[in-house]
Amino acid sequence: MEKKSLWKKITGSREASLVIVLIVLCIAVTIKSPNFMSAQNILEILKNNAVIMIMALGMLCVLLIGGIDISITSTLAFAGMTIGMMYKYNKIESTFLGFLIATAMGAVCGLLIGVIIAYGKVMPIIATMGFMYIYRGFAYLVAQDQWAGADALGSFKDFTLSNSLSFGLINNTITVTVICYIIFFIVLKWTKFGRSIYAVGSNAEAAEISGINVAAIKTAVYTIMGTLAGLCGALATSVYASAQPNMQTSKEMDVIAACVIGGVSMNGGRGSVLGALLGALVLSVISKALPLVGINAIAQNTIKGVIIVAVIVLNVLTQRMMDKANLENREM
Amino acid sequence: MAGKSGRTISATPDKSLKKALLSWEGMLLLLFIAINILCKCISPVYNLTNVLREMPKYLTEIFLLFPMAYILLMGEIDISVGSTVCLAATMACLSSNAGVPFIGVILIGLLTGTVCGMINGFLATRFRELPTMIITLGTQIVFRGIAEIALGDGGSISLTNADGFRAIAGKVGPVPYMFFIVIICAVIFTVIAEKRVFGRNLYAIGSNSRTAFYSGIKVNQMLFISYTVLGLLAGVSALFLTSATYGANTTTGKGFEMDAIAMAVFGGISTAGGKGKLIGGIISAFTITCLRVGLGQINMNPQVILIILGALLICAVLLPNISQSISDKKKKASRA
Amino acid sequence: MKKKVLSAILSVAMVATLLAGCGSAAEEAPAAATEEAAAEEAPAEEAEAPAEDAAPAEEGAAGGGTYAFVSKSAGNPFNERQATGFEEAVKAIGGTAIIQHPESATADAQITVIQSLISQNVDSICVAANDENALQAALEEAAAAGIKVCSVDSTVNVASRLTHVNQAGVTEIGQCLMDAVYDITGGEGQWAILSATSQAANQNAWIESMKEIQAADEKYAKLELVEVAYGDDEPQKSTDQTQALLQNYPDLKVICAPTTVGIAAAAKVLQDQGSSVKLTGLGLPSEMAEYIGDDDAHSCPYMFLWNPIDLGRLGAYTSAALVNGDITGAAGETFTAGDMGDYEIVTAGDGGTEIILGAPFKFDPSNIEEWKEVY
Repeated sequence: MEKKSLWKKITGSREASLVIVLIVLCIAVTIKSPNFMSAQNILEILKNNAVIMIMALGMLCVLLIGGIDISITSTLAFAGMTIGMMYKYNKIESTFLGFLIATAMGAVCGLLIGVIIAYGKVMPIIATMGFMYIYRGFAYLVAQDQWAGADALGSFKDFTLSNSLSFGLINNTITVTVICYIIFFIVLKWTKFGRSIYAVGSNAEAAEISGINVAAIKTAVYTIMGTLAGLCGALATSVYASAQPNMQTSKEMDVIAACVIGGVSMNGGRGSVLGALLGALVLSVISKALPLVGINAIAQNTIKGVIIVAVIVLNVLTQRMMDKANLENREM
Repeated sequence: MAGKSGRTISATPDKSLKKALLSWEGMLLLLFIAINILCKCISPVYNLTNVLREMPKYLTEIFLLFPMAYILLMGEIDISVGSTVCLAATMACLSSNAGVPFIGVILIGLLTGTVCGMINGFLATRFRELPTMIITLGTQIVFRGIAEIALGDGGSISLTNADGFRAIAGKVGPVPYMFFIVIICAVIFTVIAEKRVFGRNLYAIGSNSRTAFYSGIKVNQMLFISYTVLGLLAGVSALFLTSATYGANTTTGKGFEMDAIAMAVFGGISTAGGKGKLIGGIISAFTITCLRVGLGQINMNPQVILIILGALLICAVLLPNISQSISDKKKKASRA
Repeated sequence: MKKKVLSAILSVAMVATLLAGCGSAAEEAPAAATEEAAAEEAPAEEAEAPAEDAAPAEEGAAGGGTYAFVSKSAGNPFNERQATGFEEAVKAIGGTAIIQHPESATADAQITVIQSLISQNVDSICVAANDENALQAALEEAAAAGIKVCSVDSTVNVASRLTHVNQAGVTEIGQCLMDAVYDITGGEGQWAILSATSQAANQNAWIESMKEIQAADEKYAKLELVEVAYGDDEPQKSTDQTQALLQNYPDLKVICAPTTVGIAAAAKVLQDQGSSVKLTGLGLPSEMAEYIGDDDAHSCPYMFLWNPIDLGRLGAYTSAALVNGDITGAAGETFTAGDMGDYEIVTAGDGGTEIILGAPFKFDPSNIEEWKEVY
């Protein structure tokens, strides 16, 4: 009896099954490459994928209201490139100001998308596809065929090297990621705003009738997504000490995949911060592990794709099992 | 019945020219003419010969538009089709270089595309709770990945004997063969969408998949067929693309899926399903093609062209919505 | 019914607009010509079909001519510097330069651009190819229309070009990099390569050449090439790959990155970690200035590159010489490239011909400050 209930607990929770997937992945990699779980390696995984992990939070909210946003990496490039150029031509010096400008730009970009989707009633995929071209184009125009390299970025790139934010405890990139996750966890779980996001996603009409301003919520969610994309623009520029107009191209699909792997439903209303985190971690571990375990470079993409499909299908099967178990319980 | 399907115009036959011009398709037609005039004005070399000569690259994308429109009409999507084109082109080139006769090369190209489409269709029908966007996101990576493995080191293959492909890249006067095939496909797909039960069912599924299922429409079967046909046409597209590049590489067909979807959406086909007409997609495809050719001829920065296209795409959906809500408000006001 | 009416209107209108465009082309063209389009293109307009006939007429028409440059992609400073050099040289000889950066770094996008240039009846096309073979059909069409085609930086196959402007001989670059690896490792130990994408033609040729040089000479017997990793010219993937190299090969001494994105990403990783592994390769001085230095605080003792501005200029002078008929692209011919001096066409490794700009230039702590301002 005891054993069965534990098994049920595991299969009964999407997050738990993902944790198992993650552990299995890590063990498999560690067998091939023993120091995979070293502190430094874990630090590198978190740092290199901070951008994906943070944007997964925004994407979680977007997916929760039943939308989608494929313009995020264009917003990221636009914001990152702009501050990159500002540092290059010595318009700004302060690191804080750089982050502020990029984040504000992202917010404005997101707001525009949100207004068009919420009040213009344009399908999210179309609106964001249009802005994907527009913001990416802006990034190229701002860049004028230049990059902002390490030399141009001055002290800005040191931000992601130091541990100042946490008073020397841990790398700033990770601190930022953790802060984002804590805020989103609290907001989505315990605030009125968070609950209304779920309400809008589950049933927009019902939410409207119960007094939630659906259009305002939608606008807010896309603005949040844009804000995070802008923040990530600054972060990516700092982490790689380089701003290029084509930065992170087509990584939006990785972000969406991270959410879906984490059990976030694309039809809205279902998904959690924990799920998004686990999904992003699974992807991060894969991209870190593939070169480590000595898989031929040419086959790496295929393997990554197969793992993504496998995890998603596994998700569906778990869900089906859960539904079946629920039905059985009801029969009893 | 496909009541909510956006076919209301055809459900209440109205032959007046004014109505026809005021429909989205009519507007697109005017836009098409306007864009041609514009291009004519800004580019001194914009003429039929040059447009037809520059068209083939865009025509290969228009092949994908037709079945993509079907899939969008059903409220689904396929973002793996660019990778399917890549894989089909790779297989065709590999077989050609292995000495397979040209007819066999064609069959292998088409077969590869079809199999990819069937895989998508299988996954989409087998795992209905998964959004097709995610399924095809996965297969997008996998199909291109397989092509990468097949291409091996160097990631590029060149035809040792391109005679067959040179032949299908031929022209009648200034008109490439491909143009006629696109037109034939356009007619077939339009007739099926407008006049056949299959077409009506597409709209029914797009409006409400569940109701359609309970009213006896074989939803899964139609999905499977549509994805398979998209794969097949991706094979066709790959063959013609190969005839322009004499080879394949790992970036072949990149971005085709977005271009095909953009053409359909600009033509008034809703990604939510059930709304829009194929003819609109076809007009919009040619409108976009002419615009890109014209702007390309004045050497406009390609990124600016993409910005213009992005803005057009949003406006194409936004403007009708705004005018709709304004007229709704007027109605309300007059009633009060 | 409505659909029929509509389709009828559609087809009529489409044919009508296009036909009208075709018919009135000759009259309208001069009137509508914008400043981008040189007036000499008008005569070519009238004789659309036999474009070959039009081309010679054009050559004689104006002293300048129109020279087009197609880069690998937009948004890359290296390509931009090439374009700048090309434009400069074309201005010097009194011609009109058309600079086109395709929308993405793919052969498909370059074909679109080349087709558009054929329509504009330019005199020459100078292209840095994203795929050696994929442009063949488009460039053959250009050649048939009387346009002189040459490649620069990254070659197209022999059938599609008259000649190729090479930054430096492949073996020369291979030798340079191999010697750098030998020098930095001290003659023995493990080293690895971090390249761009697995299909990057230039990088593959250089890597191949390095492997050959290493195998051929006893001197390099104690060096061990452990892996060729591909960072796809993405900062993130290049970072992951560099970290993986460090982890998989604790005894690694040198990483050689013959690509501008890869070398910058790798330099950052090595420098941040304070790793003892050193770096060399091909990189832009402006991107790499921060990392070049002899002490332990810097990850890259020295690296190489050629001057992209000069490369673009030589491309322009070669185009002009081809258009003027000074050269035909055959081996043994010589021509004067403006103030750059005389150049000779030589036989290339692929059976075609090429013009070699010169030896790769070494950037070290002594000259980096000066060059980082230039490109």
